[in-house]
Amino acid sequence: MRILVVEDDANLAAQLVEGIHAAGYVVDVAGSGSDAHFMGDTEPYDAVVLDIGLPQMDGITVLKKWRAAGRTMPVLILTARDTWHEKVAGIDAGADADDYLTKPFQMEELLARLRALIRRAGGHASTELVCGPLTLDTRSRRASVDGTALALTSHEYLVLAYLMHHQGEIVSRGELIEHIYAQDFDRDSNTVEVFIARLRKKLPPGLIETERGLGYRLTKAQ
Amino acid sequence: MNPFSLRGSLRLRLLVSTLFWIILSIIVAGWGLGKLFHQHVEAQFVAELKNHLDQLTAQLLLNEQNQPQLKIAPSDPRLNKPLSGLYWQIGQLDNTNHPEEKVLLRSRSLWDETLSVPTDILADGEIHQHRIDGPHARDPIRHPPVLEISQEQIDHPLPRREGTAWLTALDQLARFQRIFHLKAPAQDAGVVLRVLERSVTIHSHTLRLMVAADESQMAEPVMNFKGQLWLALVILGAGLTLAALMQVMIGLAPLKSLHAALGRVRNGDTQKMEGTFPSEIMPLVNEFNSVLVQNAAVVERARTQAGNLAHALKTPLSVLANAANSPQKKEDKLAHLVLAQVNAVRKQADYHLSRAQAAASVLLPGMRTPVKAVVQGLVRVMQRVYAERNLEFELFPVDEALAFRGEEQDLQEMLGNLIDNASKWATSRIEIQVECILGKLSVRIDDDGRGIAEKERVHLIKRGVRADEKVPGTGLGLAIVEDLANMYGGELSLKKSHLGGLSASLTLPVA
Repeated sequence: MRILVVEDDANLAAQLVEGIHAAGYVVDVAGSGSDAHFMGDTEPYDAVVLDIGLPQMDGITVLKKWRAAGRTMPVLILTARDTWHEKVAGIDAGADADDYLTKPFQMEELLARLRALIRRAGGHASTELVCGPLTLDTRSRRASVDGTALALTSHEYLVLAYLMHHQGEIVSRGELIEHIYAQDFDRDSNTVEVFIARLRKKLPPGLIETERGLGYRLTKAQ
Repeated sequence: MNPFSLRGSLRLRLLVSTLFWIILSIIVAGWGLGKLFHQHVEAQFVAELKNHLDQLTAQLLLNEQNQPQLKIAPSDPRLNKPLSGLYWQIGQLDNTNHPEEKVLLRSRSLWDETLSVPTDILADGEIHQHRIDGPHARDPIRHPPVLEISQEQIDHPLPRREGTAWLTALDQLARFQRIFHLKAPAQDAGVVLRVLERSVTIHSHTLRLMVAADESQMAEPVMNFKGQLWLALVILGAGLTLAALMQVMIGLAPLKSLHAALGRVRNGDTQKMEGTFPSEIMPLVNEFNSVLVQNAAVVERARTQAGNLAHALKTPLSVLANAANSPQKKEDKLAHLVLAQVNAVRKQADYHLSRAQAAASVLLPGMRTPVKAVVQGLVRVMQRVYAERNLEFELFPVDEALAFRGEEQDLQEMLGNLIDNASKWATSRIEIQVECILGKLSVRIDDDGRGIAEKERVHLIKRGVRADEKVPGTGLGLAIVEDLANMYGGELSLKKSHLGGLSASLTLPVA
């Protein structure tokens, strides 16, 4: 799961990156509206934490541009002003944010909202994602098969979580790379194969299918 | 203020001042024109007299006895008609030192009268004018002169004639001389004649030629003219008054539309005064509009500054709170202190920022916010924000035209806080009803939560008090709503809802 944090205050941005990263997400940071717009427009993010008060281009404008360009990732806006006018502007009036959080906020609150957004975007009602015998608890970041916990590395968790959020869909290797690595990471598509191979060993057989030339698909095992 | 008092009504002021001048001008014009016409008629009258005098002079000659004689009698028939009002007379001055006039010739029209003009000595041929009382100039048939017959005893000694009694009787009779005298009727005593006299000296005889006419002949055309003149002036005055009335009506009509335009701004139908006004009023309208724009700019600036301050303050607060809240510092006393203080600062900032915003916006006229769109927007936001809880929001039908007389942001703030509050506490259902009751905008928000006990409700509205710390929020929501509502002259009341939870009712001015 790859998250874009848009915050112009360096201290707060660093805290956000730290907190979100610690929760098991891959995080990119943008410090200005125009950077944010470019990144959100070109990179696939699973969610965005967007501050409204930004230099160059305010958060609402950035969001409206994304939405106008057909970018539908869930967005959590951070507002300094606790006014409904700003919340309505961010959520209802064409900007279409998914939730808001007023500064100062607590990191737990932000992470809970973020998880909820990602889950809702995948069409899942609960914090627990289930695929056959496999269960993934996004809150505690634990995966289990028939109640038995799996020991997963952070990258293995990221690959599995992404597949779980997109059950039944074909997920290409490139897509996986984009969602498990931050922007400036040196990417190597072979590593994805390594993670898939390791996951297959830990999971019941047949859960992860390979569609030749297209990618992978998580299906309920027969 | 009485709109018809002179002090209070522009219309009355204009009308009264215009009418005053119209009446004054008409009186002056009437008097002046009458005077001019009178002078003109008089000049003609005198010219005619002079004409007669010239004729008389031309026909005058002296006969062998040195008596004046006219070659041809003047032709005007009036001169032969008794007391017709036109006369001539030729007299002679006996002695220049003691002038005593002797009438030698006179017109038939003079009948028994003479023109007794004060004697004055004129150069030869010079013309002089006199005004004298004259015989009456009326129609002698309708107003016949009175024939007076008086007798007087002639006081000369009778010759003694003895023995002739009849002669004595005859003598007795002869002692009386009958005097017949035609006199103008008493009531016509006021007739005034205009006399033109000229002295002519022929063979050292100085003759006094006079022509006279009744001045009342002038009066008739003057009276006729004046009658018509005043009639015309009255019609003119009426026309001018009507014109003044129309001018005032048409001239002041833009004030009425100005009033209407101001009313629309006040009601919030328009943000500025719209419409075209006369060039005298347009600058006022433009000035007023620029004041409105300036006010709006001031409010906008205040809002922006409040926003900037909030941003500038709360981002560092977020950093502080996050730093103090890290899992490693769970037991740190300083971290707890920092968290508590951050919370306090946030509450204060929120409260005062929203108050500052509200205080600025109430001053703005021309604000009108349709309620339906605002409520719908807020409900959509709540549905999204509380998506997890599957709350059912029931918004009863709202009249499209229903509008709040005030700022959109303030309405959003009040309704947002109330609906958010209801959403936090509701179990599954929230009802929102927006109506216009007794000329007031009324919004009622009900939830099916567990409600609040009566004694807590008053307490709840007080600043910063929270009923329960379990639900996230600053606890300022209701206090801010109350403050904003009061500033708009509205009010907030809380009671038990028919759904079981809290029912919040907000009344606000309607636009």
